Amino acid sequence: MLAYFRKTTSAAPLAVFRLLFGLMLFGSIVRFWSRGWIEELYIKPRYFFPFYGFDFVHPLGSYTYVLFAVCGLSALLVAIGLFYRVAIVSLFVSFTYIELIDKSTYLNHYYFTSMVCLLLIFLPANTYFSVDAFRRRTLLAGQIPAWCIDSLKLFVALLYVFAGLAKLNSDWLLNAMPLRIWLPAHNDLPVVGFLFNDHRIPYAFSWFGCLYDLSIPFLLWNRPTRPWAYVAVIVFHGLTALLFPIGMFPYVMILTALIFFSANFHLAVIRQISNWLSIPTTFLLAHRAYTYQPIIANLIRVVFVVFFIIQLLFPFRYLLYPGELFWTEQGYRFSWRVMLMEKAGYAQFTVKDNLGHRTIVNNTEFLTPLQEKMMSTQPDMLLQYAHLLRDYYAQHGYHNPEVYVDSYVALNGRLGKPLISPDINLASEQESFAPKTWITSFDDKIYGF
Amino acid sequence: MAQFKWKQIGFACAFVGALWACGGNSPDTPAPTPTNPADQASSDRKAMLTNIADNIIVPSYANFKTKFDLMLTKSDAFAVKPDKASLTDFRQAWVDAYTEWQKVELFDVGPAEQNTLRNFFNIYPTDVTGIEAYVTAGTGAFDVPASYPKQGFPALDYFINGLGTTDDAIVARYTTAADAAKRLAYLKRLTTQMNTQFSSVYTAWTTGGYRDTFINCTALNAGCSTSKLVNGYVLNYERYLRSGKFGIPSGAMSNGTVSPDKVEAYYKKDLALTLAKTAHQATVDFFNGKGVKTGQEGPSLKTYLNSLGAKDSSTGASLVDIINKQFEAVNQQLTTLKPNLSDEIKTNDAAVVLVYTQMQKAVRMLKVDMTTVMSITITYTDNDGD
Repeated sequence: MLAYFRKTTSAAPLAVFRLLFGLMLFGSIVRFWSRGWIEELYIKPRYFFPFYGFDFVHPLGSYTYVLFAVCGLSALLVAIGLFYRVAIVSLFVSFTYIELIDKSTYLNHYYFTSMVCLLLIFLPANTYFSVDAFRRRTLLAGQIPAWCIDSLKLFVALLYVFAGLAKLNSDWLLNAMPLRIWLPAHNDLPVVGFLFNDHRIPYAFSWFGCLYDLSIPFLLWNRPTRPWAYVAVIVFHGLTALLFPIGMFPYVMILTALIFFSANFHLAVIRQISNWLSIPTTFLLAHRAYTYQPIIANLIRVVFVVFFIIQLLFPFRYLLYPGELFWTEQGYRFSWRVMLMEKAGYAQFTVKDNLGHRTIVNNTEFLTPLQEKMMSTQPDMLLQYAHLLRDYYAQHGYHNPEVYVDSYVALNGRLGKPLISPDINLASEQESFAPKTWITSFDDKIYGF
Repeated sequence: MAQFKWKQIGFACAFVGALWACGGNSPDTPAPTPTNPADQASSDRKAMLTNIADNIIVPSYANFKTKFDLMLTKSDAFAVKPDKASLTDFRQAWVDAYTEWQKVELFDVGPAEQNTLRNFFNIYPTDVTGIEAYVTAGTGAFDVPASYPKQGFPALDYFINGLGTTDDAIVARYTTAADAAKRLAYLKRLTTQMNTQFSSVYTAWTTGGYRDTFINCTALNAGCSTSKLVNGYVLNYERYLRSGKFGIPSGAMSNGTVSPDKVEAYYKKDLALTLAKTAHQATVDFFNGKGVKTGQEGPSLKTYLNSLGAKDSSTGASLVDIINKQFEAVNQQLTTLKPNLSDEIKTNDAAVVLVYTQMQKAVRMLKVDMTTVMSITITYTDNDGD
């Protein structure tokens, strides 16, 4: 174990990863901004859905633009490796803050991005091919501890394996759900469109997707299989980019997978970039090995070990809850469960009190279409919204308002049914990590993870 | 990347292909209902959109245009010579046009959506105070949201049915009253506005090329025809049929206090139920793809859902049958009501609330069960998902 921690490797893969990751994040911020989504998602909504325990995170009004500017600038600084330590901390904080504002915008790859930023805070990603090292040559080091790169590889591998394990369920493998619903939507594509009417195609995609997720980290890690594993990465994520509205995620994964390539590959990339930018080759010849101060090294190892233990256990926390995970979504987020559900819902709230007040809530007066869509299928958001209504109507003349919901949710092609018991007064239910007893039972079985 | 050779790329492709084939042939998985050629044809959205455009939307608009043009003629005749006879003619033409309108209000797609046609035709209860202020002023904006309840069929309802208790009294408002000229001028403004708004929608469909745009935008994303059509259809059912015609006036949706004055065609008194029945039948026929001229069913939401094999997995009943059964339950409940919906709400409100309750069940099926298997996002946004 100690011998492993003493092993060093080329700093080039981490340098290239830092560059690509920073640029991609910068690009994402620019894309987000240019589409008007800052306004749409963080300024226009009247109410937000913060995560449990993070209620102190609030949108900043029009200063949200400043937050995004800080995030974008930090990403750019990380990419070129200038003021790296400050920039990566600021990138982690600003990006994570943005993602914590509203659950409605939760995406697994945002969580992935946040966690990678967190890891990068502790990694010497600026010792090679960075502006910091260019300005301060004493920092320049061509070798870094091997575990620095391995930890990133391990994290990516965890993501894929968990995503694959999550697909080992009867809906995905035996019913080809939800792909059986999503793929026919593309039957008007030129040339290949007709394929999506074939009922075997969703099965092929489901099985291939599952095998891909479970095997790709190992095929990438193993040198002989690496080149064609990478072709599979491009084909797989290219297809998902083509067929589903999942934004930057496919491109993030295609570039992230390069971390598995050899030092020689990354050195070649760096030489090529240096050629374009006319950077002297002497800057690329760095034989010094970066070493942490012993105390810091020990501390970081502890942090990383704890981090990975948490990452290994967290996706299994759903086992602590009764009921069907897809139905209750207790323990669903932060677990690499990607594209597993076609879930649609409808929630009509009634607020009343003992003075005879009674009203049926028009959700559009409180929520944006995206928030309403997310709220209507996720029990914790239904509860948050009920509390929001309770507080609103308490201020508007209702005496101790009671909140009931008429909910109707359809999961993976099953007919809809109520998600929440209609006779439960949500105003008096509390949010916690304890099982939510007011979620109705699923009355069906999805086998597997 | 020296080791990256063509041979290996070929090998990789073969591997990917092999995985593909393996997945495709996994015969141990229970296949869904076998897809027969007829079913595949009906999952062709272009065929569905073509039937809906050529056999439902455009002919419905044409039928409405006939009735609407007649109403405009009768309105002008009344303006030239306001008397009991011309009022009766105008009123009958208004009843016919308003009834026919119920068959086009649900097409909230394309030009009708862009022009927000409904806003200029059927926002009620009508704003009597606002209308009188406009009449007195002789002017007033007609394109702002606050002006929507001051125009369209509900404003005409007030003008020809609500200005007096007898026809003589109504006619007097256009002849001997001090503001008779101003009132006639406002009447002309109303019909002109409706004509302008409808004409731009109708021309877009018939000669403006929208029909081709409509049938060729076959993708299922938020910007294309199927999604817009279904969104508009469900919204119409939920907000304008269920809430507008029954939920709000019956008090089912607000405080339990009834609002008999909030029914459609309030001043005409005996028309509201006919309008509601017509609107409901139009949504049923649309769902089943029934051609307006021929009465024959063609590619529709029904055939599309059937081609997707949408059914209740526990009972095996098809979603189409379940939805049609619920439509039938609504129809049954509608037959128990008397024509004067306003009176029904005062004396027999429980029966009106039951219509709302039955419609609510249909809303869930349309809004959740139907759209989820069609892969249509009902409250659409263009954000990323995962």
